[in-house]
Amino acid sequence: MERNVIRSGSKLAPSSFSAAPHALSLKGIVKRYGDLAAVDGVSLDIPRGSFLTLLGPSGSGKTTILMSIAGFVRPTEGDILLDGARINDLPPEKRNFGMVFQGYALFPHMTVAENVWFPLRVRGQSFPESERAVMDVLQLVQLDHLKDRLPSELSGGQQQRVALARALVFKPDLLLLDEPLSALDKKLRADLQWELKDLHEKLGTTFIYVTHDQEEALSMSDEIVILRDGKIEQMGKPGDLYEKPATSFVADFLGKSNFIRARLIASTGPDQATYAVGEQEFNLRPAPATVGPGETVAIALRPEKIDISVTEPETTNRLKATIRQFNYHGTSFHLRVSAAPLGDLFVTVQAWRCGITPSINGELWISWEPEAGVVVRETVAIDDRPSPDGV
Amino acid sequence: MTEARLTFGRCMVLGLAWTILGFLVLPMVVIFPVSLTDQYYLSLPQESLSLEHYVKFFTNEIWLSATGQSFIIATCSTIAAVILGTLCAIGCWRISSRASEAVRAFMLLPIIVPTVVQALALYRFWIDLRIVDTYFGVILAHTLICIPYVVITVSASLANFDLRVEQAARNLGASVSQTIRMVVVPQIMPGILSGAIFAFTISFDEIVTVLFITSRHIYTLPKRIWNGIQDHLDPTIAAVATLLIVVTLLLLLAELWLRKRRDAARANR
Repeated sequence: MERNVIRSGSKLAPSSFSAAPHALSLKGIVKRYGDLAAVDGVSLDIPRGSFLTLLGPSGSGKTTILMSIAGFVRPTEGDILLDGARINDLPPEKRNFGMVFQGYALFPHMTVAENVWFPLRVRGQSFPESERAVMDVLQLVQLDHLKDRLPSELSGGQQQRVALARALVFKPDLLLLDEPLSALDKKLRADLQWELKDLHEKLGTTFIYVTHDQEEALSMSDEIVILRDGKIEQMGKPGDLYEKPATSFVADFLGKSNFIRARLIASTGPDQATYAVGEQEFNLRPAPATVGPGETVAIALRPEKIDISVTEPETTNRLKATIRQFNYHGTSFHLRVSAAPLGDLFVTVQAWRCGITPSINGELWISWEPEAGVVVRETVAIDDRPSPDGV
Repeated sequence: MTEARLTFGRCMVLGLAWTILGFLVLPMVVIFPVSLTDQYYLSLPQESLSLEHYVKFFTNEIWLSATGQSFIIATCSTIAAVILGTLCAIGCWRISSRASEAVRAFMLLPIIVPTVVQALALYRFWIDLRIVDTYFGVILAHTLICIPYVVITVSASLANFDLRVEQAARNLGASVSQTIRMVVVPQIMPGILSGAIFAFTISFDEIVTVLFITSRHIYTLPKRIWNGIQDHLDPTIAAVATLLIVVTLLLLLAELWLRKRRDAARANR
């Protein structure tokens, strides 16, 4: 039962749970606790019907932002606008936002049906009046057969669905999700990612999702906001963020990256530039707009964008390397190679296409396209960075 | 496994422990045979066992009215203490700041202050309020005495209550009062009931304050017993005492049972 992905062809009319989607704006939100700013000037427009993820490590302020939207935290400065109207002073129960809490926060003394009925009950609907809606939403999350169970009699995944049903049954203007999958095991988490995305497509409600798990953020979101120390580090579509990280923090937090500190030698037009590490020169495309020749730059290079070969490849960006360590992951090999003058680099290669059998101290050639490197601003010092484990 | 050996030291410790236990319990136990005496003064049964003193208790207007008064006072002050104490505990829990911690500590003062000092203070104050020797005065005093016990038991229940459950209720559209009624109170019910049992037992047994703030109108059961002992050694007192012990024991057992259920519920979570 757990693993069933919600079937797209469900005969249910899911539109019965979706209100017209709403847009939310944050204008210069600041939340200070004493001298410490948990959120430090966050402005954000969340378009109608989008799936937006607030992604960041713990302490980045993502949960504080979500709690401000829900009304449990009062921002020190700034405005929260729903469709242009200021809602700062509205108590949580007047905001009509559904929320799925970390750990679900189900009412332990109520059955599944009673939990889902609760939001309708406090709005003055008797059980017979709301039974249809309760059963429909339970069917939507495939729990109608468990409606008389207590939360303690359900598995983690089932409790998660009850929390979801409870947050959807009253047609909320927004759905807020606070690390809803963090308590589940890996496989179930992956299944529920499909379901959540499917649900979002069906309902059209605006979803605001908080997580520290970059995989969840990449797989489900229309837009990701990456937070660091209470500020927005970068935001954009998952693919754009992954391919064009603006800072070393993003390059390292979203996926993994190798960093190369190099000297920019020349920009041969807007199209191409050359950078050097020691005497070795490499090509970069396109040329960075913000830095000129002679300056030192940090270049992020994704492990999977590095190719390996036994014979010397015919490209400028190539180095002879020695394997220091390797891990087998089924789908891929993760190699740690040492290649002068860059030092240690992490390389990911598809296992079934890997032309060689990796061995410690084995020699090979590594190479990468000029497009593979991205110049990043160094918001986190790339030298202090702990080496990515397992990559 | 090492077998416990009966060394001299161990014998001493065991003997001492049992002596203390006996010293604590025996005076209470002796009440029981005394209550069955066939004599007309406080003594052990001489020739046969008799229930006449129990009959006397249940037929004597004075004893019945004292019991009735105690019941009224204990019930009213329990209700008041439970409502006020629960609200105080929930409020402190929700605010959960240094100030609310101070309030919670302050609430325990009635337990810490010597009863006789408190009784004296109440007496002095009650005179000004003109509520000495009234039901209201005694109920108010007992409510004050009982509130800390309710605050303690309810706070203990709340310590295990997930704040996010309360937030979830608010998020789903419940007002503060709906949240407390429909979500918080049902889940801390064992704590509230424990507090109520404590409050009732304490109010029912309380004598020091009652002696201070009542004169002729209010005669609670403990006060009647006290007077009875001073006048003449009527064995009815032993019968009453036995009944009191039984009722108190039953209430404490109920409290134990509630606590066990609460722990079981917590373990299930």
